[in-house]
Amino acid sequence: MKEMSTSEIDWKQNIFQQLKLRNKREKEPFENLIQSYSKSFDIASSLKSKNAQLTVEVDRLKEENTRLSEQGGGSSPGFNDKTHSVDVQKLYKLQEELTELHKKRGENSQQIIDLNMLLQEKERELMIKDAKLHDTDAVVLALKSEIKNLEMTIVELEQTNQMLKDEHQALGLAFTAMEEKYRKIQDENADLITRWMHVKAKDADKMNEDNDIQIKKRQAKLQKELIDAAKEPVEIRPESEAGIYVPGIVPICVSVALPNKAQHKFEAHDGEVNAVKWSPSGTMFATGGSDRKIKLWEISGGKCQSKGILTGSNQGIMALDFGIEENYILGASNDFASRVWSLTDQRLRSTLTGHSGKVLAAKFLGDCSKIVSGSHDRTLKIWDLTRIACIKTIFAGSSCNDLVTLQGSNIISGHFDKRLRFWDSHVSSDRSQLLCCTRDDSLKVIDLRMNQVSSSLYADHFNVSCDWSRAVFSPDGTYAIAGSHDGSIFIWNIAKEKVERVLKEHNNAVLACAWHPSGQYVLSADKQKKAVLWSDI
Amino acid sequence: MADDREILKELWEGRIPVRFSLPLEEVDSGEEPESIYLMLPRLSYFPLVTDRVNKHFSKYVNQEEATEMWLAYSEQPLKWHYPIGVLYDLYGDKDSTPWNITVHFQDFPEDEILHCPSKEAVESQFMSMVKEADSLKHRAQIINNMQKRDHKQLWTALLHDRYDQFWSVNKKLMESSGDDMFKYIPFRIYQIDIPNIQKIFKPCNTDGEEQNLGELLHECVPHLWDEDKFTKRVVTHGIEMTLNTPVLWLSQNFSYPDNFLHLCLLDKTDTG
Repeated sequence: MKEMSTSEIDWKQNIFQQLKLRNKREKEPFENLIQSYSKSFDIASSLKSKNAQLTVEVDRLKEENTRLSEQGGGSSPGFNDKTHSVDVQKLYKLQEELTELHKKRGENSQQIIDLNMLLQEKERELMIKDAKLHDTDAVVLALKSEIKNLEMTIVELEQTNQMLKDEHQALGLAFTAMEEKYRKIQDENADLITRWMHVKAKDADKMNEDNDIQIKKRQAKLQKELIDAAKEPVEIRPESEAGIYVPGIVPICVSVALPNKAQHKFEAHDGEVNAVKWSPSGTMFATGGSDRKIKLWEISGGKCQSKGILTGSNQGIMALDFGIEENYILGASNDFASRVWSLTDQRLRSTLTGHSGKVLAAKFLGDCSKIVSGSHDRTLKIWDLTRIACIKTIFAGSSCNDLVTLQGSNIISGHFDKRLRFWDSHVSSDRSQLLCCTRDDSLKVIDLRMNQVSSSLYADHFNVSCDWSRAVFSPDGTYAIAGSHDGSIFIWNIAKEKVERVLKEHNNAVLACAWHPSGQYVLSADKQKKAVLWSDI
Repeated sequence: MADDREILKELWEGRIPVRFSLPLEEVDSGEEPESIYLMLPRLSYFPLVTDRVNKHFSKYVNQEEATEMWLAYSEQPLKWHYPIGVLYDLYGDKDSTPWNITVHFQDFPEDEILHCPSKEAVESQFMSMVKEADSLKHRAQIINNMQKRDHKQLWTALLHDRYDQFWSVNKKLMESSGDDMFKYIPFRIYQIDIPNIQKIFKPCNTDGEEQNLGELLHECVPHLWDEDKFTKRVVTHGIEMTLNTPVLWLSQNFSYPDNFLHLCLLDKTDTG
């Protein structure tokens, strides 16, 4: 082991020695040398670079020096007086030139300053212009956008317009179609009407036939009665008692004959015939019209003959009334007045003014000393004929269309507000029924004792023509008669509440009717001049 | 072991005086450049220490024809990836110091030596050598367990010639006891004009006895043996090795920084 370790130490030592030797051989001799060499190498290189720098500088300096010496050489050689004076002169000249140049320079600089200022001003102007341009650009942009918007609205409106046009076209088509339909229906209607008229004419013929048969029967009966009477012994009676139609004596109606034929047709007035009235005795009748006249007529031989014309009214006559003794006739006029004429001499006796509206109705009140009038001014007035003055004014509250007097003291007025008003009703007697023509196209019979509508009279084609259309009872009170808007005259049986007869002769609305006190005749007056006398014969 | 440390220190301190000169045909400017003398560490590589040479001579050459600088010794191009000491041992003339190296900037011998683009190329070459050595010794376990910082430290210590810094890392790589026993010895054998030899060689034979340098040479270059006498000299780090030196110790102490034993086989001279 010891040997091993010693040999190990030996070779290690050997190696170490060799290394030391190596280093001694290779490194140590040269280490210091090379160190100092590299130092001197560095120094040499730095010196070299410095040297190069210096040579460059030297060159530069040399160059400068030669330049300077050349300059110096130019001025130094001529150093005598002559050249000197020339030089001085030259110098002066040069100085002068210099000052001149200085001046010029000053001027130029002044000019430059001026130009600069000008330039600045121009620049400012340019800036302003730029700003303006910018503004206008902005405005242009805004306007453009507005234009675009407007264009869009135009397009929209055009679209709407187109749509409306289309709609209009469609409606037009619909309209023409409807028109076509309407024409067709009209044609149909006309056809139906003609058919209807035809049927009606047939009916009328049939009725006429019936009437003829009846008349024949009656004549036969009459003949038979006459034959019978001729067989009986004849009693002679005073003549005065035999006549039925004696003036001043009110005829007594035994039975009413329903008229079925127009006995006589005549033109009563120029224009509407507003009123027609029989005298109490039935010997004559009067008509009043829009031509401001009252005409008096008499029946002779089935014809109506004019007996006189009463003038004096300034407007159309709306209502008539005979005095109970047949010596006076009363007319209510549209000129706000009521007038009284005497029948004997056919002259205007008195004019009663005081209403502030049309007088639509007037009646004698009891004896001929008092008159009551109803007006459109919503009042009723009572007049005293002896004094020719209004003695009483009644404020009715609604315009009065018609009046009825009862026993000389009671007044019943019909009004526009659909009401009947009773005034001073303290006496009552056998006249217990009142006939009203109302605007609901019916006639109402009122029982004055009960203050109730006792019966209503309707008819299919009955239309009340105007506010002041008048309906009347037959003298015995069993029938009521009224004219219709289409010119027909309707006769009702009151007890049965049924239309008994329809008379057609007028072509215009019938305004008034009047039944002869004896029940034999009926008068009717229409809107267009005509009056018709009806009888059963 | 104090001896081992001294030996290591001596090895680290190994320097070679070198004279660099530019051949006349490559001189472009009028004046002839001065040669440069340098003391180069044996353990380093040429590209790490020749900045100054490059800078000095590049001023004198034709700038248009100049390429990468390369070195040669008497027409023999020097490979930059061998340590300087190996090149000196292999080619250098021991009788004429300093070592005369010519500097070339033209006619790069493409088929003999590699280009060296930068010092990073040297670094990656060095690190790959270290890793190869450790994979032979410890199956690369130690080098792989090291941190990146330690790798960097190995390199920078070599670069800046710092002995303590280098060995504080390198001693881990040289550990050979118990389980960390060297598996194989990393070594290369160089001969002039012959490609170098690298073989797998275990530090101990099948009987567990340590093998020495003679046995290694027997196995690697048997044709160079005449009977029991080796016909060449074995030189490393500038000294001749006796054949009975144990290879494990050699590997631990006489390896270059790349952890390889670089053994140069030279002809026997009269003086040797």
